[in-house]
Amino acid sequence: MSRDLADVARLTRVSKRLGGRNVLASLDLGIHAGEVTALLGPNGAGKTTSVSLLTGRIAPDAGTATVFGLDPRRPAARRRLGVMLQSAGLPDVLTIAEVLTLQSGYYPNPRPLDETLALAGLDDLADRRCAALSGGQARRVHYALAICGRPDLLVLDEPTAAMDRASARVLWGTVRDVANHGTAVLLTSHDLAEADALADRIVVMDAGTIVADDTPAALRARAGGSVIRCRSQLTPDRVAWAPAVRDAGMDGADLRIVSADAAATVRALLDADTTLTDLRVADATLEDAIAALLSTQSERIAA
Amino acid sequence: MTALVATPNGVWLREAIAELKRTSRLPQFLVPTVLTPAAFYGLFTLAVAKSPSPEYALATLAGYGVFAATGPALFGFGAGVAMEREQGLIELKRVSPMPAGAYVAAKLVAAVATTALALVLIDALAIVAGVRLSATTWIALTLLHLGSAIPFALIAFGMGMRMSGKGAVAVANALFLGGSVLGGLWIPTAMLPGWMRTLGQITPSYHLGQLARAIVGVDTLGAPAGHMMAVTAMTAAGIAWAWSGWRRSPA
Repeated sequence: MSRDLADVARLTRVSKRLGGRNVLASLDLGIHAGEVTALLGPNGAGKTTSVSLLTGRIAPDAGTATVFGLDPRRPAARRRLGVMLQSAGLPDVLTIAEVLTLQSGYYPNPRPLDETLALAGLDDLADRRCAALSGGQARRVHYALAICGRPDLLVLDEPTAAMDRASARVLWGTVRDVANHGTAVLLTSHDLAEADALADRIVVMDAGTIVADDTPAALRARAGGSVIRCRSQLTPDRVAWAPAVRDAGMDGADLRIVSADAAATVRALLDADTTLTDLRVADATLEDAIAALLSTQSERIAA
Repeated sequence: MTALVATPNGVWLREAIAELKRTSRLPQFLVPTVLTPAAFYGLFTLAVAKSPSPEYALATLAGYGVFAATGPALFGFGAGVAMEREQGLIELKRVSPMPAGAYVAAKLVAAVATTALALVLIDALAIVAGVRLSATTWIALTLLHLGSAIPFALIAFGMGMRMSGKGAVAVANALFLGGSVLGGLWIPTAMLPGWMRTLGQITPSYHLGQLARAIVGVDTLGAPAGHMMAVTAMTAAGIAWAWSGWRRSPA
């Protein structure tokens, strides 16, 4: 329990109903200093609701949300918090430099403007009005707004959603850099490559509860060695009894099997179905690991 | 710890300057809001009356100055806040460490500054029409006219936090025009039919208009102290309405 004391942010037995649905059910989640935590899960798993609670946008129905031991709705807690939201806009008629200067002024020890601009890759755009920005540029401004105050906790809700791969990689680099300087980072993502590149810890949510909480490497290991794909007459139910099978399901027209011992499983498959075609074997990825964890449809996580 | 949690100095000032910049860069809002009250005053009071007496120009000036304050407050706050909320700008502020009061105060500064521009035009027209007041009376009248923005701004802020942009524009229009007619800002209350007089008493416009008349020494309906109390009560209710609107869950 000594780890709890080091938590910079914490949801304790939090329940939340939204729109007549139980979005979170007695959720416990602690965010640790100097660690990048990725929150993954299908739509409706409760990721955004968890972020909303930790950033003080909504209050829990039961349980408590704290940031640095304080109610996150208090400005004193938010002075150590940087937030990049999915849904937020920017004031059209102000320039990037004006917006960032205003935001920096809310914090006791902000970064110099040039440093913030450089970290977000906005050096050349300082005097551009926000109305004239592309979607990816606007996301970078939101990132700059989140980091300008040197927060101790950085919350990123789908940070690279509207960015191309190259911009996303640049952003990942600066997030890692910020985390290496001791900032705790909480990010939600649909992008498993992002979680794998950035996170020290992955929390998988489904239907308002946590189904896994581990390092990316440990999660991959948990999925077992290999993923086998093929076209076959066999149903997932029948295959589930074959040797070394951990998980079996359909992925489009493919039969998809997670196996701890690919050779043993493939031998049994070929024996059982002589018409089997298109056989492929690959190492289990993080995506496979998480798909195996989620009892519901595996396709949704990759969407 | 105290040093860590203190609000940095100058937040309120910087917020106000940013809001003034935004307003000045939105001429499609600024120009009509500044020109409309002066145009109405010039047209309905001075032009229609052919050669109005300075007394008549003065009595109507009292009401039109309040009218000039309601526009920027109702539209800047009501419609402006609703649209900013729809664009996700309120979310941006809400998760930042900005004190909520700084946001409202900045918008109020912008509304009062816009009102001041409109008042310059109206007051200039009044002087052309022969209105002469002592310096103290001008100052008192101007302060009342500028202050008239406050209750309207609070009411409109609460609206903006609760309504869609389109809805807020419609309601702001109804309050802007309805409040001005019923409150006797265009046609003196004494000349209105009885039911309109009665309805007018629930508008801040009416009580502010009567206070303005008292300042310039034109006959009023009821004692200024009563109007003062009504304005204070409406402002207090406006604060509660605005604050509960800000605290509403965004979901």
